[in-house]
Amino acid sequence: MNRNPHKSIGDPAPVAGPGPSYSVQRRYVAFMMWLIARLLQAASAVDRTIRSDVADLPEGFSFCMRVRSGTPALTMKKSGDGLAVVRRSSEIRPTLAFEFKHVAHAFLVLSFQESTPRAFANDRLSIDGEFTNAMKVLRCLNRMQALVLPRFVAGRALKEYPAIGLAEKLALAARIYGRFVIDLFRRDSS
Amino acid sequence: MTDHYFEFSSPVKLVAGFRALEHIPFELETRGATRPLIVSDKGVVAAGLVEVVMAAVRAEGGNVGPVFDDVPPDSSMEAVEAGARVYLESGCDAIIAVGGGSVMDTAKAMNIMATEGGGDPRRFAGYNNLTHRLKPFVAIPTTAGTGSEVTAISVIKDREAGSKTFFFSQFLLPDVAVLDPRMTLKLPPMITAATAMDALTHAVEAYTCLGKNPLSDAYAEAAIRRISRWMVPVLENPQDGDGRLALAEAAAMAGIAFSNSPVGLVHALAHTVGAMYGIHHGAANSIFLPAVLRFNLPRCRDQIGDLLLYLAGADVYAGTSVDRRPEEAIGRIEELKEKAHALCGLPRTLAETGKVSRDALPEVATRSLDDGTMVMNPRDVTYEQALEVLEAAWD
Repeated sequence: MNRNPHKSIGDPAPVAGPGPSYSVQRRYVAFMMWLIARLLQAASAVDRTIRSDVADLPEGFSFCMRVRSGTPALTMKKSGDGLAVVRRSSEIRPTLAFEFKHVAHAFLVLSFQESTPRAFANDRLSIDGEFTNAMKVLRCLNRMQALVLPRFVAGRALKEYPAIGLAEKLALAARIYGRFVIDLFRRDSS
Repeated sequence: MTDHYFEFSSPVKLVAGFRALEHIPFELETRGATRPLIVSDKGVVAAGLVEVVMAAVRAEGGNVGPVFDDVPPDSSMEAVEAGARVYLESGCDAIIAVGGGSVMDTAKAMNIMATEGGGDPRRFAGYNNLTHRLKPFVAIPTTAGTGSEVTAISVIKDREAGSKTFFFSQFLLPDVAVLDPRMTLKLPPMITAATAMDALTHAVEAYTCLGKNPLSDAYAEAAIRRISRWMVPVLENPQDGDGRLALAEAAAMAGIAFSNSPVGLVHALAHTVGAMYGIHHGAANSIFLPAVLRFNLPRCRDQIGDLLLYLAGADVYAGTSVDRRPEEAIGRIEELKEKAHALCGLPRTLAETGKVSRDALPEVATRSLDDGTMVMNPRDVTYEQALEVLEAAWD
């Protein structure tokens, strides 16, 4: 006897589930946010294009990227012409916030299953703050991803892969990863 | 598993057509309102449009509260606060906005203060910072372009902060939008053309940008069909009530479309030249639309090709090879621009506005990159590319 009124004989097998459990997704997102913040800090120290955008941000500017529940989250602030990770994020109120509506949406984006622009188009995340600043931060994030990720991965994260020569990309990526490692041995700014 | 996903919301009741204004008493009564504040501007009042609305309400024994007509062209926080004071001191229980985009935006922000009993509206600025319904709100557009009567956004010039304050919330949406051809019959030809091209741009960008979805597409298509069919006849015969109504419906449908599939590069450029040189938003959209479509062609050739069906009809669409449809569609938009220019002088190029110098284009390109609408454009835009589009739109 068919007990499920929504299922008739001959229906295809149920489609695959949503992937890893939410708790696994949350741990993955937390790790990726930790990684992104430190790579962006390093990229903002070595890449002129990113430094140019950061320089145009107002003094005292800070931003966070978080999941709706508040965690995981990354918080960064303008420091000179670069960006610095804020370790004790509870001590500042960010000027700008990017907020994923659910950890599953953050997982989609940070596992490169959905690009950031597609996530905006799909209403997965919202922006609270000045859009002019948000656009600068998004350009910095895009540039950083284009530099540190292999092209086939960056192509999934970005709207368009920018025109960067391989030699330039490798040289900048090496400097960013180098700076990233150096920063790991320093105390993060707070 | 499919990765398809979209959101769509359009809760505004549209009351559209012949004698639509006379439905207002019923709409107020069913929402428990008996004393609406009328929000408008001096130009709309001088045109006699507020009187038409008040007469329609009073004819059924309805009560109308005071008229607040101190809304400036770009709105202002002072007007929001002053209007809210009038609302509270006069014992009003609803708002009727009669006007264009500035009046609508002001009335939306005013409704926050009216509901909260005063205070500083800035504490509700930003994204989704309202948590409950506001007072009954009826929107009566007197232009056919902005679509503000169906959007959840209010942008208010804030002299104190030296910037524009932005409010976004579903609760800002009017309860009812009344589209009555009597409200746009006296619109000057130039404004008629600029606002129609504004609505066309809303629909075309909603159809071609990243947020497009099946429902926003349906509204965009219907809007494009109406504008391509009726804009020129209305410019030739401004008293054409059917055409006026069709354009008002198109503007509302385009508003619904872009509320659910936000606009892109055309608006980024138009916002910038509007802020820097005061170029009318609709005229600026009209100037940039073909150049931006050509720029976006590599990423959305099929969608732009589809536009030919809505712009030119089934016979032309069927008689045009798939390869040529995108260019033909852009050509049809350029034809509309040419006709509008011939009939009322709507500028076709940046140079024709007489407000921008060519030397300023690099600054326009730089500033436009920071406009939030860039996120939804189908292509990423570099400074050099933005400058190329501006040069293409120059002359």
